[in-house]
Amino acid sequence: MKEGLIQQFEGYGEVARDIEVCRKYGIDYTLEKGSVEKFINRLHPGRMTLRVADIIEETPLDGTLRLVPEDGYLPPFQAGQYITVSLETGNIRTSRPYSIASPPNQTGYYDITVRRVKDGLVSNHLLDRVERDDVLVCSGPAGNFYHNPLIHDRSMVCIAGGSGITPFMSMIQEIVDCGLDREVFLFYGSRTLEEVIFRKRLEAIAGRFPNIHFHPVIENPPEGYGGYKGLITGSLVKDVVGDVPGTTFFICGPQGLYDFCVPELEKLGIPGKKIRTEAYAPAAPISNQPGWPENISPDDRFEIRIKDGKVFSARAGEPLLMTLEKEGIFVPSECRSGQCSRCRVKIISGKVFQPAGTPVRRSDRRYGYVHSCVSYPLEDLEIMI
Amino acid sequence: MQDYDVIVIGAGNGGLSAAATLAQNGMRVLILERHNIPGGSATSFCRGRFEFEVALHQLSGMGTTEQPGPLRSMLGRLGVLEELSFVEMPDLYRAFIPGKLDVTLPADRSGVLETLQKRFPGEKEAIGKFFELVYAYAIELYTFLRNPSAAQGTFPLLQRYAFKSAKDVLDEFFTDPLLKAVPGAYWGFIGLTPDRLSFSYLAILFFTYIEMKPCHIKGGSQALSNAILNAFLAHGGRIRFNCGAGKILVENGAVLGVITEDGDEITSKYVVSNASKITTFVDLIGREHIPEKFFDDMRGLSRSPSGFCVYVGLDREPAEMGIDASTTFILPDEDISGEQFKRMKVLDTENDMVAFSCYDVADPEFSPPGACQAVLVTLKYGEPWMRVPPRQYAREKYRCADAMIRQVEKVYPDFRGHMEEVEVATPLTFMRYLGTPGGSIYGFEQYMKDSLFFEQPRVSPVKGLFMAGGWVANCGFEPTLMSGKSAAGAILRMEG
Repeated sequence: MKEGLIQQFEGYGEVARDIEVCRKYGIDYTLEKGSVEKFINRLHPGRMTLRVADIIEETPLDGTLRLVPEDGYLPPFQAGQYITVSLETGNIRTSRPYSIASPPNQTGYYDITVRRVKDGLVSNHLLDRVERDDVLVCSGPAGNFYHNPLIHDRSMVCIAGGSGITPFMSMIQEIVDCGLDREVFLFYGSRTLEEVIFRKRLEAIAGRFPNIHFHPVIENPPEGYGGYKGLITGSLVKDVVGDVPGTTFFICGPQGLYDFCVPELEKLGIPGKKIRTEAYAPAAPISNQPGWPENISPDDRFEIRIKDGKVFSARAGEPLLMTLEKEGIFVPSECRSGQCSRCRVKIISGKVFQPAGTPVRRSDRRYGYVHSCVSYPLEDLEIMI
Repeated sequence: MQDYDVIVIGAGNGGLSAAATLAQNGMRVLILERHNIPGGSATSFCRGRFEFEVALHQLSGMGTTEQPGPLRSMLGRLGVLEELSFVEMPDLYRAFIPGKLDVTLPADRSGVLETLQKRFPGEKEAIGKFFELVYAYAIELYTFLRNPSAAQGTFPLLQRYAFKSAKDVLDEFFTDPLLKAVPGAYWGFIGLTPDRLSFSYLAILFFTYIEMKPCHIKGGSQALSNAILNAFLAHGGRIRFNCGAGKILVENGAVLGVITEDGDEITSKYVVSNASKITTFVDLIGREHIPEKFFDDMRGLSRSPSGFCVYVGLDREPAEMGIDASTTFILPDEDISGEQFKRMKVLDTENDMVAFSCYDVADPEFSPPGACQAVLVTLKYGEPWMRVPPRQYAREKYRCADAMIRQVEKVYPDFRGHMEEVEVATPLTFMRYLGTPGGSIYGFEQYMKDSLFFEQPRVSPVKGLFMAGGWVANCGFEPTLMSGKSAAGAILRMEG
């Protein structure tokens, strides 16, 4: 009936002809099998297998793994982004994000520099057990800590602590290799002079390129050390950089660095939007974080029940994600710092602690979804993965 | 072996509403979702202190509590209405051509007339007649779609205008090109320029948005997705995140179940696919299970454009920025004859029409205090972006975003100086997150030949398989949500 009526409408003949012609000469969609995934993998592969081509000792604490692609292709990234290395160690399947230290214009390999963490599950595995020619499974590059020319100034003050130097190494090398019009003032806080990663390379770059300024700041310097000592204070930054308007500040390092430097910069009158921080995992013990309930010790244990799954006991002071991994329950993860939302799980009942400022979508809060990498059980929980 | 009554592939609008309706009716349902969050396009992401709305610009079909629209009724039946708050937008949009035109159409019929008649007094009568036609045509169209068996001759307007383009009708009624450009600008929400867009869609847009008002959702479209999922879970539904479908199992022309990406085999009597039609039949099922005729029919269809979006967090409130309309269409000129269609096929965004949305105008709580967010959208086909070498991708992204920001500065001069966060999505971003070929955001295109008079046959070439989402429905939130309900309805009818 409908068809019959439509045929009476003015202009039907022409449209009907169009339909016929288009069907005749149109697109054979069956040829497109697999094309979306193949295409997207050039930019954002979900998974890469990278081979350790070289291991470079940087300092007594740090080593660089030079990773080359098994299939000959590395996706591009923006200097400052990270990859997440997945591995199994001590019967635990887990992952860790590492900023890529090599620049994006280096298309042959990614360097990741690993700092040894005392009792660190993954850092010790990567530094002690991984050998040349081993293969690592990694995520594609990700992360939001990079220079965005739409909002960030050409003049950058970069503040690094410890292994937080790696994204800046990538940025600085890209700037000098590609002749980008940017100026960098790098303040690199380190406990000792020996622990300054890439010191020789950074000194050499700063010596050759007038737009790169390198200032190590040493907490416990050797006697007679002539460089900057102590912590990276606002007044130090102001003395070195001078006028700060028209400058964007980038900070990367352990939590203590943010806790100290952000207020220092704010004291200089720098607006919040000019201060960009890389995601970081909260410092242990978690009970030192503001808002942690006084009546709960990190060693308290609670029962976790997975909907339709197993029941086990968890330590309050351990991120839920880590507990799940130890129980052999795989939850995908990338940043492990509460930013990327990859490890999102639903808390059906019970309470967790989430450090202040963790970006969780409003409606996720309402329905109990959390980033399991920065959620700590405060009660018995039922969760949905 | 795990078994469900229904497996739903994809938790987009269509998948969610299908799944929730089925679970509510006692079916055992499993949703497989590739991503870690439900919603498909109906989602949000966080940057800095902002939570950005990805896709919802103007929600249609809500109506009021007293006179509920189809979408409000559907959400009510799913039991999620109480969970959500809706914000009515007072305006349809502001249309802006630098130096030439600046009108804001309020979301009521007499207001639209007054505004246009005041700005174009010479065509006062024609303006009145045009909107009379829009209303009468829309009503006739709805009657026809509901009950085409009514005697021929009761559809005199369809008879005359069913196969006219929006431009045909605008040309028939108006002379001033600037006047034609104002209603013409609504094409930005459909993806075809007025010269190619069926008049039917323009009439529907004006009719429904004026009668039922454009709305937004407190907390954004993610709140809607989470609420529907929550209702689904409450009815015993199960969802697996981070778990895409790898294959739909078909034997003797009927579905048997799904193999997940991880290789898990799950059986089911029915499958509802919210993946694109191309993905579903070509990738998940495979041509060997589908009659050739099916692909022959699909051959005539073309993929819709994708989008190039710039999500901006601003460190000022909208009023301080001079932003007083929720939606602004920034047009480079008054052309409605397809110049913008050509623009969709090139990489550059210079001189594109920019759809500019600021949700904080209608909902001051949308962003943190003292801040607001703006989303700049231009429609683009995926192909030019697919030709960009991967290593130049980031640079091109910033270059094109910059050009759009320059367009916006013509309307809101202080815009750039107050940008705090900027994230850019290209057609490749949509391709990545939606999994659609070419990053299409509106499914197949709806040229006259594919318009609502020629809907694709609803009969599935595979027994037990149903489709939901933008590839089998009109584009937009209301139609995709409704498509899921229809798919669920079809399954429930088969179950008796």
